[in-house]
Amino acid sequence: MTVVQAPRRDAPPAVPPRPSFRQRLSKWDVKFSPYAYIAPFFVVFGLVGLFPLLYTAYVSLYDWEIGDDDPPFVGFENYVQLFGDGQFWNAVGNTLSIFVLSSGPQIVIAVLLAALLNTRLRGPTGWRIGILIPYAASLVAIGIIFANLFGNQYGLLNSILEMAGIDRIDWQAGTLSSHVAIAVMVNWRWTGYNALIVLAAMQAIPKEINEAAVVDGAGPVRRFFSVTLPLLRPTLIFVVITSTIGGLQIFTEPKLFDVGQGSNNGGSSNQFQTVTLYMYQQGFENFDLGYASAIAWVLFLLIVVIALVNFLITRRLAATEGGRR
Amino acid sequence: MTLAVRSGPRPKTAKVAKLGRPNFFVYATLAVFVLGSLFPFYWSFLVASRDSGMLTERVPPLLPGGNFFANAAEVFDSVAFWKSMGNSILVATSVTLTTVLFSSLAGFAFAKLRFRGRDPLFVFIVVTLAVPTQLGVIPLFIAMSELGWAGGLQAVIVPNLVTAFGVFWMRQYTVDAVPYELIEAARVDGCSMIRIFWHVCLPAVRPAAAVLAMFTFMTSWNDFLWPLIVLDAGNPTVQLALEQLQSGYYTNYSLVLAGTTLATIPILIVFLLLGRQIVAGIMQGAVKG
Amino acid sequence: MRNRPRRTLTLTTILATAALLAGACGSSGSGEPADSGGPIELTIATFGEFGYEELLREYQANHPNIKVTERKTGKAGPHHQNLIAKLGAGSGLADIEAIEEGHLSNVLDKAARFNDLTQIGPADAGADRWLPWKYEAAKSKDGKLIGYGTDSGPLAMCYRKDLLEAANMPSDPQSVKALFATWESYFQAGQEYVQKSGGKPWFDSAAQNFNAMVNQQEVGYLDRNDKLTLENNPGIKKAWDQVTAAVAQGQSAKLTAFSNEWNSGFKQGAFATKACPAWMIGVIKEQSGPENAGKWAVTDAFPGGGGNWGGSYLSVPTQSKHPKEAAELAAWLTAPEQQLRAFEAKGTFPSQVKALESPRLAAQTEPFFAGEPRIGELFAAQARKIAQPQYKGPGDGQIQENVTAPALQAVEQGTAPAQGWQQLVDGAKKIVG
Repeated sequence: MTVVQAPRRDAPPAVPPRPSFRQRLSKWDVKFSPYAYIAPFFVVFGLVGLFPLLYTAYVSLYDWEIGDDDPPFVGFENYVQLFGDGQFWNAVGNTLSIFVLSSGPQIVIAVLLAALLNTRLRGPTGWRIGILIPYAASLVAIGIIFANLFGNQYGLLNSILEMAGIDRIDWQAGTLSSHVAIAVMVNWRWTGYNALIVLAAMQAIPKEINEAAVVDGAGPVRRFFSVTLPLLRPTLIFVVITSTIGGLQIFTEPKLFDVGQGSNNGGSSNQFQTVTLYMYQQGFENFDLGYASAIAWVLFLLIVVIALVNFLITRRLAATEGGRR
Repeated sequence: MTLAVRSGPRPKTAKVAKLGRPNFFVYATLAVFVLGSLFPFYWSFLVASRDSGMLTERVPPLLPGGNFFANAAEVFDSVAFWKSMGNSILVATSVTLTTVLFSSLAGFAFAKLRFRGRDPLFVFIVVTLAVPTQLGVIPLFIAMSELGWAGGLQAVIVPNLVTAFGVFWMRQYTVDAVPYELIEAARVDGCSMIRIFWHVCLPAVRPAAAVLAMFTFMTSWNDFLWPLIVLDAGNPTVQLALEQLQSGYYTNYSLVLAGTTLATIPILIVFLLLGRQIVAGIMQGAVKG
Repeated sequence: MRNRPRRTLTLTTILATAALLAGACGSSGSGEPADSGGPIELTIATFGEFGYEELLREYQANHPNIKVTERKTGKAGPHHQNLIAKLGAGSGLADIEAIEEGHLSNVLDKAARFNDLTQIGPADAGADRWLPWKYEAAKSKDGKLIGYGTDSGPLAMCYRKDLLEAANMPSDPQSVKALFATWESYFQAGQEYVQKSGGKPWFDSAAQNFNAMVNQQEVGYLDRNDKLTLENNPGIKKAWDQVTAAVAQGQSAKLTAFSNEWNSGFKQGAFATKACPAWMIGVIKEQSGPENAGKWAVTDAFPGGGGNWGGSYLSVPTQSKHPKEAAELAAWLTAPEQQLRAFEAKGTFPSQVKALESPRLAAQTEPFFAGEPRIGELFAAQARKIAQPQYKGPGDGQIQENVTAPALQAVEQGTAPAQGWQQLVDGAKKIVG
């Protein structure tokens, strides 16, 4: 700031005043600061994100087996093959099914949980940590825990079913049962996380708005739907888009759910093999990097389309219900 | 915001005073969820404090046994636990600090500042989230070894200095949390942009920043595949050290779960610290209304 | 306006950098000759327990110009994942990489990325050091030797003495041999056991037996010309029919190997027999727990002759900057004397002729098992029964892991055997096709 002298004082007032250094500085500040603020992301992305992206696109045009020196160029043949690949479409179906079974309930429960947490609780931190803690579990622990929960012969859940006089369920064997079990794993891990995101947004809503609605005679349910929910729109869009992207890339839970350790098969007949699992199997087990890269790109486009649809739906829903914005 | 103005200085009624006071039903529902969340952790601790034979019992015991410290001591003997812990704390802390700072800055720019190319750039950032990451490890490793970073902690820190997720989240939160009027007022007072960010925006988005910090810390702490490929086994993060506990054809689950229990403790500490931070941020009520 | 050209510029720079990196990755394997005078640094990447800690310390003491670092991964899965990623990246591998037998056929297909140990290795590490099948298995089609054998997993049969007794069947190691003479007698005994025990399973899972049966065939899934012959291979089809028939009779406990349920199965006595490579002894002991001491027994018989399950090799990738020194260290580590010491440290059963003849190995007993059998001697005998290895073409390992095992699991979960066979054939075609 010491650099900034005041030349303005000495200047004759007759001529229209040239912008001072300080004013120019401020103008530059306004003009260029935004770029400086978003620059870190693009620098990091340029350094470590862009190259993998281009590399994958490049490799997907080759019949590239890991360790090949001169992979033949095949153009879009990997993609053509992919569209006729039954296992791929099976994986797409599984992914969508698991996604619907997990994301839907997850977001609804997360919003309700957030509403409960947004009340004046005693010991609020404790409750928040309580519901977020599954996110802290390490993958090693999750694998062991859920294998023991969903085991067919010695699993805890089946023991409880038997004690209740109900038949055991072979969770891994069936398509629907395996999808439900995986959705339970997903929801256990991610519901609290989403609830906390929604909670943070709820707390940004000024108290006065709710108080005014109370004075106007709105009950808690009405308040929730007509006041809180519309104001959560940016956050709900965030939650819906991130869980769409995360849900369609689902990898860890189905991999850990397979009884064969380290298996990427997704069950004995691929009944719970997801697209990322299939991609991973092609790349890291079958060495077929070209094909795996093609899967990665198709999955990427699929996610973008579905995320866009979900975005439009969410925006419309949140807008019509409130109608205030 | 218009509603708030309309409410004006009306006297508070008894109804308003009762607003948000939870009843028994609220506590009971939350308790069910918290118990469901905690159960697997408690169960891990049970196994860690007994021997792995417990896993085969149809009706597992409900109280911990006395083997936890013996198992923990074996963890310390088997792997470089303290070193890996130090590495993980260093990695997770630096990643968390930079992610929160850079994401808040970018979120502020995207939410509140006008500049050419803003919307397409933001969409681009969101779209990068959709890139499947598992396959990226091969080209990323190529990049890292060309830079000469493979094996060093910077190879796990730099790719996560700021994430698309963080920018997206901070932008969405900032949109509503920081009113334009405040920014304008600060501008009129002659504040530079960075001062506006620091003194106006940041206090208002503190709860969101704290949430992001928690998530980032945990994600970094639990990351496995990338550190496995890029780090040396002699310089591991805590998840890599835990993986070494499962060596050989036979896995001692008590030992592994004792290790994971120990590795979860730092996360709980971060939880407690940042959890309070969130509450404090709200209590201050910095710029609300 | 002003920022636009700048952005394009950055983008071009990034693209150029990326192209540079992409171009550079192909050439990064070739290191410069490293005779710079300082100590030579070698890395060795292993998984699980190879028992090399003490040995490496000794090697460095005897070779002051060499510094060795061991990179250990816990499980085989992540270790090979790492290996494949770095093979794909063209850099980052250790000077010596351990390769597990199950992954060997995939790696042999990439033999160009590994040094031929007959060319760069020391003279004393010749073919006569190892059992012939162990040595031959690591040769690529064009005759390159890409790995020195470390340990092995010769198969014997383990069984629950108490459960056989309870079912009024022969139970001492000599009289059970007749049950385990051929696969026919084995499955017949299984049927008898299921009936006499009131429906208890005979073995842990179908895939375990089927793999051993396929390995005993003259030709495996692929023939020497790397053509998939599975569909017309009567031996494999017969094995499939035998195993799936046994499943239908309730002989399988349906427990996938190494799953949590399988672990629990040992404690619960869920199956009466178990295909038993040498390293399985430790697994049975740890998983069954002290309360089951004396209930398991082992006999030196295996249906259809012998077989091998597991064991590893030490390879030297072409990425290594000191291939000669690395090969020397790998040769030293896999010499009979060192392999015996690794066996004593961590129980990795040797694959070297001299080590198998050693009285130190023969003296090894296992008190957890009924009658304290001399397991060193027993498994050494089983190792010598193994014939020449079956040729395993590229994709063989994937077929076994990703197609056969799941198809048999599907049959165990209720799929009709014919449908399961179709799943196997289709899946194998897809991998080789």
